[in-house]
Amino acid sequence: MSATGRLGLFAFACLLLIPIVWQLVLAMPPFGAHPLPYADLINAAAPAERHVTNMVSAVNFDYRGIDTLGEETMLVCAVTGATVLLRGQRGEQLEAHPGQVENRPIPHRSEAMLLVGRLAAPLTVLFGAYVALHGMTTPGGGFQGGVIIASGLLLLFLAEDYRGWRRLMRSWLFDGLEGLGVALYALGGLAALPLGLPFLTNILPYGQPRNVFSGGLMIIENLAVALAVCGGFVVLLIEFLEETRVMSDGEQE
Amino acid sequence: MTPLIGLLLLLEAVAGTAVALSRKPRRQVLAMSVNGQVLALLFMALQAPDVAFSEIVVGAAVLPLMFLVMLASCRMDRASSGQDET
Amino acid sequence: MNLLPWIVVAWLMLAGLYGMITSGNIVHLIGCLSTVQSATYVLLLAAGYRHGAGAPIFYTHPPGTPAVDPVVQALVLTDIVIGGAVTALLLALALQLHKRRGSLKPDELRALHR
Repeated sequence: MSATGRLGLFAFACLLLIPIVWQLVLAMPPFGAHPLPYADLINAAAPAERHVTNMVSAVNFDYRGIDTLGEETMLVCAVTGATVLLRGQRGEQLEAHPGQVENRPIPHRSEAMLLVGRLAAPLTVLFGAYVALHGMTTPGGGFQGGVIIASGLLLLFLAEDYRGWRRLMRSWLFDGLEGLGVALYALGGLAALPLGLPFLTNILPYGQPRNVFSGGLMIIENLAVALAVCGGFVVLLIEFLEETRVMSDGEQE
Repeated sequence: MTPLIGLLLLLEAVAGTAVALSRKPRRQVLAMSVNGQVLALLFMALQAPDVAFSEIVVGAAVLPLMFLVMLASCRMDRASSGQDET
Repeated sequence: MNLLPWIVVAWLMLAGLYGMITSGNIVHLIGCLSTVQSATYVLLLAAGYRHGAGAPIFYTHPPGTPAVDPVVQALVLTDIVIGGAVTALLLALALQLHKRRGSLKPDELRALHR
């Protein structure tokens, strides 16, 4: 279909749908002033039942824990798909050179970038670990901490040149980390089955509220999610950045 | 509805439209980064700090970098044909 | 003025779809998909908001102070992270498409058209 044909069809669909969408907008409940029964139930019950103070983590890892297992599986599938598409026939080349876009020289690594990167990257990884650990008490959790750690390792790439960074980031480590995360989550859920309880029942002691080690099984699930998300995102970054290097002899795409 | 939330919603509408209307991919990457930051501010105003954490890192840092790397490797592949579409 | 969040959501979705339909580059199309995704995030979080309430974290406030909905926040936060990974998968597909066919324009990428 030509471009004008597509645009004409889109305009026709808009003419039909916009009155319907307007009626929907008028029928929506008033912003900020409608009752939230499920939210009130969780906000009232969760601190006493599970001894945690971060309600979002309680929902993610305990009340809707099976949804999070599904999300982790989706992450592994997406990362596996991207890896299969990009890795292809290449091996683990640690001596590869960064490729070059035509007419553009590879800029020399600047000292300021090096200093700032080397200072900021360990601090960011430490901050990510802090956010991941304190998921039960203050805003944070496995998802946030995992992506912050991945972005800290990305800062290392901006500081070091391609070869230095590639020598630090070994694929086998982060592949293993991602798989370990998902396996730990599933095993933590399975631990309740021999006791005759449903999958993902919280069987560990709950601990004190406002303590880092509160929530029972949520601590293990939090750690598992942090490992899986960090490993998955670093694997994606490695695969994408590998696409920018010069191909060596005897390699096909 | 506080003025802050109203202002951030309008800003988000503008940023989202800018992402859709930037035709060249390399310009769109910057628009996506700005969109991510405005979304993070909006989420903070809507009292959702956990969500703002994820959005800042994923929407403003990691995803634009993946777009830029992908565009760079496309240009490296096309070095022989001499065409530039970005 | 109370309808502003829903209008912004509808506008963002419309703008993203318009960008996808009239796109001339597959990478631009993937970027417009992220606009449609941000429309859904705004919709979910606006549905869970409550006037005068704080974040659903009871570290400094005692449990029982008014708080917004934590369930939609849990949905949106996993959605953002996993959506980022799925967008990376789409980019990998687009990269392979570029390697095999040499072009990123949707009009030139018809299936049986060599």
